[in-house]
Amino acid sequence: MRVSNKKLFPLETKTRYAVFLVVMAIVLLISMILAVRLGSVAIDFDTIRGFLVNKIAGKEVFPVTWEDSTQSIIWDIRLPRIFTAFIVGAGLTLCGIMMQALTRNPLADPYVLGISHGASAGAVSVIMYGYLAFLGHYATMVGAFAGAVISIVLALRIATIRNKVTATQLVLAGIAVSALFGAVTNLMIYMHKTGSDKVKTAQYWMMGSLSGSSWEKLTYATLAFLVCFVIILSMHKKLDVLLLGDDVAVTLGVNTDRLKLIIILVATFLTGIIVSISGVIGFVGLTIPHITRGIVGTKHSRLLPASVLVGGTFLVIADIISRVIVSPEELPIGVVSAFFGAPFFLYLIRKSHGHLGG
Amino acid sequence: MAERGKRIPVEKAEKDRENAPKLEVRGISYSIDHKLIIEGINLQVKKGSFVGIVGPNGCGKSTLLKNIYKVYSPDSGVAFLDGKTLWEMPDRERAHNMSVMQQENHVEFDMTVFDMVMLGRFAYQRMFHTDKAEDRKIVMEYIREVGLEGYENRYFLSLSGGEKQRTLLARALAQKAPLIILDEPTNHLDIGYQYQIMNILKRQKLTVLSCIHDLNIAAAYCDEIVLIRKGHVFGVGRPEEMLTDENIYRLFGIHARIIPNDSTGKLHIIFLPELQKD
Repeated sequence: MRVSNKKLFPLETKTRYAVFLVVMAIVLLISMILAVRLGSVAIDFDTIRGFLVNKIAGKEVFPVTWEDSTQSIIWDIRLPRIFTAFIVGAGLTLCGIMMQALTRNPLADPYVLGISHGASAGAVSVIMYGYLAFLGHYATMVGAFAGAVISIVLALRIATIRNKVTATQLVLAGIAVSALFGAVTNLMIYMHKTGSDKVKTAQYWMMGSLSGSSWEKLTYATLAFLVCFVIILSMHKKLDVLLLGDDVAVTLGVNTDRLKLIIILVATFLTGIIVSISGVIGFVGLTIPHITRGIVGTKHSRLLPASVLVGGTFLVIADIISRVIVSPEELPIGVVSAFFGAPFFLYLIRKSHGHLGG
Repeated sequence: MAERGKRIPVEKAEKDRENAPKLEVRGISYSIDHKLIIEGINLQVKKGSFVGIVGPNGCGKSTLLKNIYKVYSPDSGVAFLDGKTLWEMPDRERAHNMSVMQQENHVEFDMTVFDMVMLGRFAYQRMFHTDKAEDRKIVMEYIREVGLEGYENRYFLSLSGGEKQRTLLARALAQKAPLIILDEPTNHLDIGYQYQIMNILKRQKLTVLSCIHDLNIAAAYCDEIVLIRKGHVFGVGRPEEMLTDENIYRLFGIHARIIPNDSTGKLHIIFLPELQKD
């Protein structure tokens, strides 16, 4: 994406920051339109415009020249999927920022720490064993949340030595936790599914997919995201202070125990929701905040809105790629995000080595 | 976590406040892995005084300070700030009354000097009402005070050791707390910076509690010196009383001659080590 130029970035002034947000919003809009157009069935722009205008106006402004199936592809399949991509990308980015503030380490994100895998194991166990059935639609989410909580406690326990989280410990803890929960997920799927179904289900939960998107899931995911975003944004100053370390944060007047508890709860809740609608999509929470920090700086008041926008846009584009590259087949979106994120991860490990002494 | 709302009765607090020391520590003990690091420490810091804690490495100076500024919770004992129990103060209120300057710790995320000092204003800010004009004014005032004018937009991690320490001092001062605690403030700094930081502090007319390594600095700046040895208070008094050949030998195992420093009017300590002969 962008190569951060030392002199130009981070964008110090308010105007430059605003311009950046506007540019990203335009990029987002263009990618969303492209996302409606591209796919196994290509839809031309006139149809998209006509359909959207008619839908919004509630009457036939443009004469209907398209088939019902096209209409259904746009409204029932592509639009919810595009917005879901945005929310998932934005949400994973937000989770990444929270984990990084919590551990004071740029390598932390829900995927690296194994929390996404924990959530996925929780969701799968609920689906396969059917407990929590009384919760109806929410059972999967609650299962995912529970899985996320268990895995974050485990990961942080392993990664923390004498109150400090080192880069090595963090990565090792993440490997262990995601391997464990990945294995649990696969085991449950292979015990309950047969034939090609099991491969497909396993792939969905391990590599992520947006193919199951619907307006209904989108609605609750959006609500959950907005609530989390507002909570975290209202604490932006506390997150800044937390980056200085617990010892310092305490002396500056932050109740670190309470703050960390809130971060853990919000991050696991949001990770649970996102994994329950999209499976495990890696590296978004790692790469996007880092890139955005390079552009707008470390302060959370600026970082949060900007990186959420960048993260959402990134996943909309990644989803287009996943649908187009092996068309008419579909690549799991986790493959696309990993191709982009894994090299980045390596770069960050390399970079952090000097500071944290391996 | 701090318990909110619990206070000692009003009349008692009022009475205490009139003649109470700014900071009082009573019987603090702290152990790590069942090993006592400090035991039964009593300490009083009078309003407006500059108190130095002196002792050899590993004697528990820093541990004592960390117990006071709430990074550690003591096994037993209490500390009072203006007559109020320190542990029961809400975090923000404590930050209004007591600031702390620690040794630089590594930060992974870089920020500008201005933003770093602005974090000292945290305890005065609410939700979305951050970085107001008043805060900016105070931040700039202390950036100037520590002589870092023109460095506002420099990045913290790009600064030299002395510049970093001065930034942290500006952050602590921006907290506008009447009491400042310094935990190894001038470690790793060359002699010029050490005196510079002490001079900046002395100008502020604050109550200061600091651990100090350099005995000549302690002699030059402190109103009172607390000697600590093996986790216990070894002596408390004016520099002239405390910094004697006998005490220095007991603490550090080295003899010294103490003479007046004609240019500062303070004590000057000349160490008399047994040099290795070739």
